[in-house]
Amino acid sequence: MNQAPVSCIPNTSKMSKTKKVLEESREIQNPELDLADKGIATFEEMPGLLNMLYITRLTLSHNKIKNVPPGLANLVNLEILTLANNHLEELPLSLSSMPKLRILNLSFNRLYGLPRGFGAFPMLEVLDLTYNNLSEKTLPGNFFMMETLRALYMGDNDFEYLSSDIGNLKNLQILVLRENDLIELPKEIGELTRLREFNVQGNRLTILPPEIGNLDMISNKSVFRLDGNEWVTPIADQLQVGISHLMDYLRSETYRILYSRYLTNKPEIPPPCIDKAKKISRIR
Amino acid sequence: MSPTPMPSLTGGMSFDNMMCSRCGEGFEPHEKIVNSTGELWHQQCFVCAQCFRPFKEGIFYEFENRKYCEHDFQVLFAPCCGKCGEFVIGRVIKAMNANWHPNCFRCEMCSGELADSGFIRNAGRALCHECNAKVKAVGLGKYVCHKCHGLIDDQPLKFRGEVYHPYHFICTACGVELDSSAREVRSRPGFANNDMNELYCLRCHDKMGIPICGACRRPIEERVVTALGKHWHVEHFVCAKCEKPFFGHRHYEKKGLAYCETHYHQLFGNLCFVCNQVIAGDVFTALNKAWCVHHFACSMCDQKMNQKTKFYEFDLKPACKKCYEKLPIEFRRRLRRQHEATPKKLVPA
Repeated sequence: MNQAPVSCIPNTSKMSKTKKVLEESREIQNPELDLADKGIATFEEMPGLLNMLYITRLTLSHNKIKNVPPGLANLVNLEILTLANNHLEELPLSLSSMPKLRILNLSFNRLYGLPRGFGAFPMLEVLDLTYNNLSEKTLPGNFFMMETLRALYMGDNDFEYLSSDIGNLKNLQILVLRENDLIELPKEIGELTRLREFNVQGNRLTILPPEIGNLDMISNKSVFRLDGNEWVTPIADQLQVGISHLMDYLRSETYRILYSRYLTNKPEIPPPCIDKAKKISRIR
Repeated sequence: MSPTPMPSLTGGMSFDNMMCSRCGEGFEPHEKIVNSTGELWHQQCFVCAQCFRPFKEGIFYEFENRKYCEHDFQVLFAPCCGKCGEFVIGRVIKAMNANWHPNCFRCEMCSGELADSGFIRNAGRALCHECNAKVKAVGLGKYVCHKCHGLIDDQPLKFRGEVYHPYHFICTACGVELDSSAREVRSRPGFANNDMNELYCLRCHDKMGIPICGACRRPIEERVVTALGKHWHVEHFVCAKCEKPFFGHRHYEKKGLAYCETHYHQLFGNLCFVCNQVIAGDVFTALNKAWCVHHFACSMCDQKMNQKTKFYEFDLKPACKKCYEKLPIEFRRRLRRQHEATPKKLVPA
């Protein structure tokens, strides 16, 4: 459905519409700029955008943007940047120096990696990386240094392992790892005491570190999604009865012993369960 | 040695065998003769053994059979006071290797007169019995009762800034003998002077309705905060999370605990997902999150949505219909399969 190559014939009606939106925005100094679904392929189609320093929100979802110019970081007042559903394959390093950026949506793109030093955002609170091609091998070293993060969406990527540095994200309330290839979870997730949404649906997990039992996942404000994994029988049994039973079980002495036995005698790693070849993000 | 001044006397006796005690001569008839304690003198011979002058007002002092005027006696024989340096006439206190006027010999700590009550030598100082007991008590780490000056072996009772044996007092209300659990009550609130304080036994104190702080369990004599069905010292009524006092700022109650605005919302989820600020006006609640009404928008295109807008959800994020339909078909197929597997949560919401 998504046509990859950009058409050679300039789509004049869309082009003019983009410019019109920009002009109107400038006239009333509107701090929120909506350019979703305008067929934009490059930033050159948005002349003067990088000088509109007053804007606090920029929405460019559902376009065909491949590259973000480093100059975007000139927009120092930007708090919300939405680039969902574009054709991004890489990002400029300058992005992470944006001083006020709080919400960054990069979901449904074609990112295979993130620039070195990406984790330097001073204020980032919500980072949406859903549906890309990221894995532990392509994350920059300082990725888990974004202590201000309260929501991290990494569903539909290619992670097999998660760094133990995740424990640094002390303010994390939402962590989505749905439909990756996760084989195990680090025990440091148990340190994320403020976590109230945790989704590991559709991975290759077999066991859980007992430290997960420390998380408050049974209050009515918490959502813990675990289905679609290859859990060992005791975990699968507890899950059948309910999350609260599972959490009690993870804290029990029985499980502690069982877990250390699993660590020395690891359960077989299940094969990847989702065929990712069909993912749009794979298009090169 | 305590010489006493003696009145001089004159009187007539038989002249024949009378002679002057000083010069040994006889007396002329009608001559004035001085008679003192059975001895006789010519008037001109009855003089000070030192200065040969008559005794002023007839007062003399005798020492080793010789008579002296007051001045010469003092110069020759009278003791000097160890404190003021003056001669000590009359009663002399000999103590601590010196002589003292009775009202110059005082306790070195409390300055009370020691002449009649006796004293105790303590480290080179003369102390009264009470002060000595106090010094000893301090050495033992104990208090001395301010009333009976005895050592307090058990818990002392503090009252008006001093310590006492509790049994010297009775409860102001019921008259029962007090123990150390008695409470001192400021009888005139607002006055700092503790001379006005009174003592009550614990039972009466509790009945007096003096509020007890729910945090420290001590009586509250200053401002009282009443909240959560208890009383609190202003500085003890604090946020259950950050433990900072509210000091009159608004607090929020949850399950019998009080929270500051920030922590109440942080803990109980009324922070807007977009602005991360406490939601002041109406709250939009959905997908395990809350939004300011004007911040509720599609998570993909940022278009504002309201109660009536139909939206889809994935990963507990809202997506408007237009955005959802632009998502990859294979993704939507997977979502649909997932939702069929968990039929409780139906989408669209």
